[in-house]
Amino acid sequence: MSSVQLTNVRRSYGKTLVLNDVSFTAPEGQVVALLGASGSGKSTILRLIAGLEPVDAGEIRIGGERVSGAGVAVATEARRVGMVFQDYSLFPHLTVGANVAFGLDKLGRAERDEMALKWLDRVGLKHRAGSYPHELSGGEQQRVALARALAPKPRAILLDEPFSGLDAGLRAELRDTTLATLAEARTTTLFVTHDAEDALQAADRLVILKAGRVLQEAAPREAYDHPASLDAAAALGPINVFKGAVNNGVLDTPFGTVQASHLANGSTAVAAVRAEALTLTPGAGAQVTAVRPHGAHDLVRIEAQGLAWRALTPARAPLGDTVSVQIQPTGAFAFSA
Amino acid sequence: MSLAATPSRTNAPRLDGVAIAAGLATLICAAPAIAVLALALTQNAHAEFGAALIANGAIGTMTLVLAGGAGAVVFGAVAAWLVTLCNFPGRSIFEWALAIPLAAPSYILAYAYASMTWAGGSPIPVNGVWGAAFIYAVGLYPYVYLAARAAFASQSACALEAARMLGASPLRVFWRVALPLARPGIAAGAALACMEIAADYGAAQHFGLTTLSTAVFRAWYAHGEPGVALQISGVLLVAAMLFLFIERSARGRASYAGGSSRWRPLPRYTLNVAASMLAVGFCVALILFGALLPLLWLARLAVLHADVQDIARPFMNSIVFSTIGTIVTLALAAAIAVAARRASSWGKTPLFAAGMGYAAPGAVIALGALSLFGLAREAGWVSGLGAGLSLAALFWTYAARFSAAGVGPIDAGLARLSKGLDASARTLGAGSWRRFAAIDLPIAAPSLAAAALILFVEILKELPATLILRPFNFDTLAIKAYSYASDERLLDAAAPSLLVFLAGLAPIIILARNIERGRAGAHS
Repeated sequence: MSSVQLTNVRRSYGKTLVLNDVSFTAPEGQVVALLGASGSGKSTILRLIAGLEPVDAGEIRIGGERVSGAGVAVATEARRVGMVFQDYSLFPHLTVGANVAFGLDKLGRAERDEMALKWLDRVGLKHRAGSYPHELSGGEQQRVALARALAPKPRAILLDEPFSGLDAGLRAELRDTTLATLAEARTTTLFVTHDAEDALQAADRLVILKAGRVLQEAAPREAYDHPASLDAAAALGPINVFKGAVNNGVLDTPFGTVQASHLANGSTAVAAVRAEALTLTPGAGAQVTAVRPHGAHDLVRIEAQGLAWRALTPARAPLGDTVSVQIQPTGAFAFSA
Repeated sequence: MSLAATPSRTNAPRLDGVAIAAGLATLICAAPAIAVLALALTQNAHAEFGAALIANGAIGTMTLVLAGGAGAVVFGAVAAWLVTLCNFPGRSIFEWALAIPLAAPSYILAYAYASMTWAGGSPIPVNGVWGAAFIYAVGLYPYVYLAARAAFASQSACALEAARMLGASPLRVFWRVALPLARPGIAAGAALACMEIAADYGAAQHFGLTTLSTAVFRAWYAHGEPGVALQISGVLLVAAMLFLFIERSARGRASYAGGSSRWRPLPRYTLNVAASMLAVGFCVALILFGALLPLLWLARLAVLHADVQDIARPFMNSIVFSTIGTIVTLALAAAIAVAARRASSWGKTPLFAAGMGYAAPGAVIALGALSLFGLAREAGWVSGLGAGLSLAALFWTYAARFSAAGVGPIDAGLARLSKGLDASARTLGAGSWRRFAAIDLPIAAPSLAAAALILFVEILKELPATLILRPFNFDTLAIKAYSYASDERLLDAAAPSLLVFLAGLAPIIILARNIERGRAGAHS
C-alpha cells in the first residue's frame, strides 16, 4: 500500500490536450474517486498511473518512487499497480481460479492456488473457482476482476467505471461488497466514475475533473458543501443557475436570495442552487409547471419571472399550482462570473 | 500498446523478442518477391526473344483473365444475390455448398475435364482457351461468391426496404441498390479470382496455352534463358500486386458500404415455383460443374485404374512436404500476425509483405528464392546447390507464398482478443513473452489449428514451385498428377488428382462451418 501522487501531469493525443497540469494525491490506504463526464480525462489518468501510456510532462510517484516523468517510464509490469478494467478483461480461456492466480506466478503452485482461493473467498466466489468467465454474471465477473487485481498485493489499485453497466439493485450491492473488500485489503484505491452518487458514497476523497483539468480535490462532504466553482457544484448533482449583480452581500434570484458576502457589491455573480436545497410549500411566489416522479422524490419544475428551476421535493407532497420557495443556504453558492 | 512504444527504465526492453521475431519473419516472407523485382530490372537477357515471349504471354494471360474472370464474376455475384436476398428451397444448403469448388486446384479440374472430353463423357468439350476459361469460371467463382455474399449480407436492410417501398421490382432493386452497394465486395473477389488465373500454371500448360506463367517455364527450361524467365516473373509479379492492390482497396471500401450499423434480418424475396426452379438449377449447375462432376469422374477412373503402389510414395512425400512446410509457414505467420496486432507503429507493413508473396505465382517466388541462393553461392556464403539447398529453397518458397493464408485466420483469431486483455496481463506483471505464451497463443489456438489445416492443404496442392525445386525423383501427388497428365496418361493421373481434390475439401468444411456459424441470428 502506497500513496499515488500526480504532479503537473500533461498528456495529449496528437493536437488534443487530454490532461492539462493535473496534480493531486491519493493518500495511502484511501479510496479516491475521479469524477467527471466522458472526455474529462479521468480514464487517461488511470492508464498513465498504470504505465499503459507515457506522460508528456509532469511526474507520477507511487509510494514515493518516481514511475513516470522526464526520462523515466517504469514498465507497467514492474509497477505493481492492479487494475480492474471497465469490461473486466478476464482471460476467457482461463478458469476463474486461474485468472486470479495469473498475477501470482512468483509463488509456488500450491501457495498460488491457496492464495487465489483465499481471494475468491473474500469476494464470495470460492465455489466458482472452476468456472469460466463466460459462465458468470456481470456482477460476478466484476468481483473476479477485483480479486485478480488485489491478489498480487499491488501498491495501489485502479478501477475504471467499476459499477457501470450493472443494473441499479446490483450496483448498490456490488459497491458495498467492493468497498468492504478494498477496506479489508487496505489498498490505496483510485476509481473512475461519472456517477456523483457512486463517488459521494464510495470515496474518502474526490477529484473532480473537467476537460482535462482538476476542478476540485476534497473530501466528499466538503466538495458537496463547499464547491470550488460552478462546474464543481454541477458535478455533484443537478443545480439551478442564476446570473445577476451582488447587492448588499446577497444575490437576488426570482426564487429567493443567495449569500454572496465574499463577493464585491455591484459585481456580476452566478448563483448555483442545488435542486435538493429548494423547499417548496403551498403558497404564492412561483408557479408549478411540471411534476415528475424521481424515486423517493418528485422533480418539480417551477417558474417565476420567466425563469424555470428544478426542485427535488419529497414524493407526492401536496403542492397546488403555485408554491412559495425557500432556498436552504447550505445548498446555495455564489461565484464571481 | 506495444512494449516497444513505451520507453523504459527497468524491465521492459526497447526491442522485445516478439518484435524481432516478427521483423525477421516479414523479411523472410518478402525477400523472394523483392529479389524477383530487383533482378528482373537488372537482367541483360535476350531482349528480342524476351519481348516476344512477354507479349505473347501477356495476351494469353489477359484473354484468360478477361474470359475466365468475367464468368467467375457473373456466376459468383448472381449466386451470392440468390442465397442472400432470395428465398428458395435448399437456400441454406447452397449457402455453404457453393464454396465447394474452391477445393479443386484448376489443374486438377483441367485433368478431369480433359479426360472426360477425351472419353466422350463431358457434356461440353473442354479444351483450348475456352476450355481453360470455363474451368477458371466454374472453379474460381467462389472467390467472387464469398466476397459478394458478405457484401450483400452486410447491406442495410433499410436501404433495400426503402427501395421496395418506392415500388421497385426485385430486378430493379438488384440493379439499382443491391449491386452498386456490393460492387466493392464483388471487385475484391474478382481481383482474387483474376490473381489465381494469372498465377495458374497447370491448367494453362495442359491446354497448351501461352500465358505469362507458362512462359516462365518455357523461357527457363525449353530455351535455357533464366534471365528472360526472371523478366517475365517481374511482369507477373507487378500484375499480381496490381490485383492485390485492387482487392485491398476494394475491400477497404466494402467495409464502409454497410450503411446502417443496426442489424436486422435482410428482407428476402420468396421466389415463385418457376423462379425457384431456375435458382436451384443455377446453384446445382455451379456445384456440379465446379466440383461434383469432376470429382465423381476422377473417383470412377481412380477406382478402375488406381495403382496403390504407384501413388503410395508420392502420398507419403506429400504428407512430409506439407507437414514441414506447414510448421515453418505457421511459425512465420503467427509471428507476423502477433506483430501486426501489437505494434501499431508498424502499421500493416508485415501483412502487406506477406500478401505480396500470396499474390505471386509459385514459380515466381521459387525463382526468387533460387536466385537468392544463387547470389549467396556467388558470394561464397553457401556451396553448391544440392538437394539440401533446393529443399531449403522449396520450404522458403512455401513460407513466402502461403504465410498470408495463415496470417488471415490467426489475425482473425487475435481480433477477438480485447486490448484490455493485454493491458490486464501487463498490470498483473506479465512480460512480453509470457503474454504471448499465456494469452495470445491459447486464445488464437483454434484459429492456429484452422490456419495449419489451410496451409497443409495449400502446400499439398502447390504445383509449379514444387515442380521447380523438388529434389530429383521426389514426386508429390500434385507432381505425379502433373507428369501423368503431361504424358497424356490421364487415366493414371486420376488417382493422385483425386487425392489432391479430397484433401482440398478439408478447409472447405471449415469454411462451410464458419458460414453456418456466421449466419446472422445463429448466435446472439
